[in-house]
Amino acid sequence: MNESTLFLITFIFYFIAAFFYLAFMFSKKEGSAKAGLSVVTIGFFVHTMALIWRTIESGHAPFTNMYESLSFLAWSGALAYIVTEYKYKIRKVGPYLMLIIIGIMALASSPLMPKEATPLMPALQSYWLWLHVSVTLLGEAFFAIAFVTSIMYMAADSREKKGIAKEGAISSEKLDSISYRCVAVGFPLFTLGGLVFGMVWAYKAWGTYWSWDPKETWSLITWFVFALYLHTRIVMGWKGRRSALIAIIGFLAALFTYFGVNYLLAGLHSYA
Amino acid sequence: MKFIIDFFKSLKLAIFLIIIITLASVLGTLIPQMRSPQEYAAHYGQLSELLIRLEVTDLYHSWWFMSLLILFSLNIVICTLTRLSPKLRRALRPNLEFETSTLMAAKINESFTKNWDLEKSQAELKKAIRVGHYRIKKTRKDGEVHLLARKKILGIFGSDIVHLGLLVILIGGIISGFSSFRTTINISEGEIVPIIGTDFKVQLDKFETEYHPNGSVKDWKSTLTVIEDDTPRLTRTIEVNYPLTYKGYVFYQSSYGWDWQNPTLEIWATKASDPSSQKKAFAKLGEKVIWEEENLEFIALQFLPDFVIDGNKPGTRSLDPNNPAIFIQVNRGEDSISAGWIFAKFPDFSQMHSEEESDYKFELKDIQTSQYSGIQMAKDPGVNYIWLGCTFLMIGLFMAFYWPTRDIRFILKYIDGKTEIFSAGRSAKSQLALEEEYTKIMTSLRSSK
Repeated sequence: MNESTLFLITFIFYFIAAFFYLAFMFSKKEGSAKAGLSVVTIGFFVHTMALIWRTIESGHAPFTNMYESLSFLAWSGALAYIVTEYKYKIRKVGPYLMLIIIGIMALASSPLMPKEATPLMPALQSYWLWLHVSVTLLGEAFFAIAFVTSIMYMAADSREKKGIAKEGAISSEKLDSISYRCVAVGFPLFTLGGLVFGMVWAYKAWGTYWSWDPKETWSLITWFVFALYLHTRIVMGWKGRRSALIAIIGFLAALFTYFGVNYLLAGLHSYA
Repeated sequence: MKFIIDFFKSLKLAIFLIIIITLASVLGTLIPQMRSPQEYAAHYGQLSELLIRLEVTDLYHSWWFMSLLILFSLNIVICTLTRLSPKLRRALRPNLEFETSTLMAAKINESFTKNWDLEKSQAELKKAIRVGHYRIKKTRKDGEVHLLARKKILGIFGSDIVHLGLLVILIGGIISGFSSFRTTINISEGEIVPIIGTDFKVQLDKFETEYHPNGSVKDWKSTLTVIEDDTPRLTRTIEVNYPLTYKGYVFYQSSYGWDWQNPTLEIWATKASDPSSQKKAFAKLGEKVIWEEENLEFIALQFLPDFVIDGNKPGTRSLDPNNPAIFIQVNRGEDSISAGWIFAKFPDFSQMHSEEESDYKFELKDIQTSQYSGIQMAKDPGVNYIWLGCTFLMIGLFMAFYWPTRDIRFILKYIDGKTEIFSAGRSAKSQLALEEEYTKIMTSLRSSK
């Protein structure tokens, strides 16, 4: 037994959960969705063990390279999903979110991602690594759910307008409201982890709290997009399609901050 | 004046500015910032001059980006202030004069009739609502009783505190921009460096590099002593992530390097035909070593830490000692008998060119030199404003989103021995949770006798 075995077992559980959710999509039997949720929860616990194992083995936080941070992102996604599912009972979101989580896991296990735990370079040896990365990714996991529910909103809304909404389908109004709740939970977390903790750590490690590095700038851009979402919604009363579109753009910006910046733009922040 | 305030209080302006600032920020990440004009010319050709003139090449410090940020700050201030007094009124002296029709038009509402008088109705209502920890305000109007039950009212000020935080951060940023100061000092062990603009000096007592088992660097540690008025004031070991602060000056461990100005070279000379004849010497560059037994002298003339043939001349690839080499010259009396490069890591690969068939082998056994520590020194008077602003920002965000205010309004009308109860729940930020709680309260109220 080691970390990669646990990772593989997690992957298998998530796969099985996805099958249950797919079965639920076609059969509409509540039982399949419930089974899916239980399997995701089991997978999540195995995943947690894998992350703990990795931490003990390497002696540092489990998100210092792409493989580790992808695995952690999938974990945060599963956590955010389990929380919202138990709270809001939004079973229809399950299949889509599972696809994204499986996609992230697949990306993490691709041969392009170096998996060996390497010793940490000096700049990363700080407890701020834990605070900065985990809180940021948790915030982003909520943005991911808002992304999924916003896309589902678009589909549900056009079906309702055409009058072909299926019996028992989640209403577009509820999807809209869940998207908003997720942004409202994710935004303070993202601000705290991504921007505030990031600035504190940058000040401690590099001697400057802000240097307009591409990664910093893109997290600010992500923050602006969600600030736009909140202001247009709370103060100007925007809802529905326009809000959903901003939430989608916001998550894509977060995704670009996470991946795109590393591969497409050069900067200080070149670890993960 | 009124025109200016009307202009800046508009939320549309805020939305417009957020979009423009976001797009400008994106542009700044697509065009590399603060490179040389030559690089821009090579990359963008004709366009480069325009880019430089529009300051797109140093976008985040350009006059137009700064102007956008200042406009945005004014916008935030005026928006927040104009919305503050209605909010204060709402918190301190809320309007209890609502109409039945308003309540019935709300999204969450209910109305029903009970066989109670007004007093009994109020008592039951208070009992039902107790679970939610609401605070109740009450007024009587034309025989009706109006009740406002609400909680977490402070949440409505969350956004104002967020805006205050943003302003403090922007002010901190401006102060940093104008008065922060930063420089890198390379300092060797034992060296004392005066800090420009202050009356103190810094001495490096000790510098060490720690390695991981695989050979990669684990950490750099510099032990620094701050000296003021010729007395040591403070000694502390700094490492990456753990700087030293003294009187607003912060010292960061940022890099390291070797001081190659004056290395000590360990050179071994051996007679090939008689290995018992050997000379082991420690020498500086340019220092003659005399080998009396063989009537020779040798001298190291040049040192390269990372030898490479660059073009057809020797050069160094880096300042790290990856392939240290010295150029050595061997003399007998007035005549040079041989000269060439010898390599510490390749003792058999020497490039000595000899006038006569040489019987001597020269080896570079070791190089000793001091490492210097690269220390970044910074003074940034804006930074405390940044942390203060961040604190406001986070308090405000958590108040606004994790402490959302909600209220329930009631109108009780007493007609023909019965009380009609109208009610409506309202929460801008936690509709779902309120709905749940509201339903619970109303169910318990309906079912009580």
